[in-house]
Amino acid sequence: MEEVFDRKRLAPLKDTVAIVGVGETDYGADYRGADGKAARKGEARYDSYTLASRALKRALDDAGLKKDDIDGLCTGPTLSSERACELWGMNPRWSGSGDAAQCIIEATMAINCGLCHTVALVYGNAQRSMDTAYGGARVTGGGITSYFYYAPWGMTSQGALYALFFQRHKLLYGTTEEQLGAIAVAFRKHACLNPKAVMYGRPITIDDYMNAKYVAEPLRLFDYCLINDGGVAIIVRRADMAKDLKQTPIMVSGIGWSEENVDATQLRPRLKDFYHTAHHGVAAQVYPMAGVTPKNVDVFATYDSFSVHLLASLEGFGFCQEGEGGAFVQNGRIEIGGELPCNTSGGMLSESYMQSWNHQPELVRQLRGGLGARQVQGAEVAQYVHDVAGKCKSIIYTKGG
Amino acid sequence: MATVRPIRSIDPYAEQFWAYTLNKELRFQKCTDCGKFRWPPGPTCDQCLSDAFEWATVTGKGKVLSWTTFRRSYFKEYPVPHTVIVLELDEGPLFVSYPVDIDVANLREGMVLSVRWTDGEDKYGAYNLPVFGPSPA
Repeated sequence: MEEVFDRKRLAPLKDTVAIVGVGETDYGADYRGADGKAARKGEARYDSYTLASRALKRALDDAGLKKDDIDGLCTGPTLSSERACELWGMNPRWSGSGDAAQCIIEATMAINCGLCHTVALVYGNAQRSMDTAYGGARVTGGGITSYFYYAPWGMTSQGALYALFFQRHKLLYGTTEEQLGAIAVAFRKHACLNPKAVMYGRPITIDDYMNAKYVAEPLRLFDYCLINDGGVAIIVRRADMAKDLKQTPIMVSGIGWSEENVDATQLRPRLKDFYHTAHHGVAAQVYPMAGVTPKNVDVFATYDSFSVHLLASLEGFGFCQEGEGGAFVQNGRIEIGGELPCNTSGGMLSESYMQSWNHQPELVRQLRGGLGARQVQGAEVAQYVHDVAGKCKSIIYTKGG
Repeated sequence: MATVRPIRSIDPYAEQFWAYTLNKELRFQKCTDCGKFRWPPGPTCDQCLSDAFEWATVTGKGKVLSWTTFRRSYFKEYPVPHTVIVLELDEGPLFVSYPVDIDVANLREGMVLSVRWTDGEDKYGAYNLPVFGPSPA
């Protein structure tokens, strides 16, 4: 592939910024509520700003910083930057927005440009309280996007789009539903080692997986992420200012970004390419910049609104050959203690559906160490892959000295 | 009264696409500068940014790429199980639809299906919905 990015300009950004603080809300406790049962959708117990504010306070405390140390702000869904700044009494010198990986890349650029030195990245989403819909009549209309454009034919939902993806994978490569089930089982096992996880204390077996109902066949209930409320915050700081804080700084060692949007509503990148062109574009940036290869990655996390995402990213980033993802995820390989522990917090399937945000604190903590039974022993290199409908990004984190 | 279906996403270009369906014509915008077929309908060619196009008729044949069967109901108009397919049309575009006159168990990757028509209606009015069934022998 022809390189259209400037490797010489990208390389010096390695280890120039660090993650110095992380925080999140109490996903499991908030989900279960006082009576121990899941809050009903639409019950409106939380709002997004309450959740985001709590996460921000915790991330600052984790870093040992005060809000006045923050001079840049990135807001994720569902927050308005203007309201967030007002609420938190901030007058940043720079602000950005986006998903977690995008915000880390933006913050890295802003800090390196000299616009600011310490950026708070904050997300809050009361999607269970608000009863946010990701399929069906309530998301119909208002633009052109594949998950509702085909409503007249009865086609809807993000899950059904990934069902089409997995069905295509089955047809081309012979991947089986039992093979896919290993992903949901592994992530649930991880969640059972994470007291904050929504699904803590609720293990599943492959039989439970196979006996669960289909939602959009060939995907079953456990292939789908949770719908829960939560907030996450991440403090990114110029590396030379990160040394004497409370936590071991975790370096941003590699970044990469590549999109594959042509004919997206037609589902062409999804079904004809499994988004691999975007994966390859990101891999060409993130690995050389960090000076590592997939073989060096000790702990891995991928966006997992659906289990299928993991197959796509493992194949696209070269952890296995295209079509071999189903075989790769077997026999504990992706579990803690295995060759490539993936989504060790339980991910969005079993920890918390924070739309990429919950993965970052987990990778940071894995590199800091001390997670007990959930700890990936000797973890030094962690990778996050954001693979969402052809908008692909990746971050490689390493342990700072 | 025609069959009421979940609402279409309508804009001036989509409106024209659906207007042709009243005559059971499957037409797509084709760029008159570079020849690329466009779907969904829109103001410009994504390949060359030309806004010149014609509404070209297509063969109405395509190969099956993938399918999914809804087991959870999302639309009252579509009781489950309901199967949706994605085809790669002869002219290039991929097209989401649903299969008729064929059991899901008999769907195969690469199988050629042909357009059929069934009636539809929503708040924008009546139309015909392109669906796909086994090609005539």
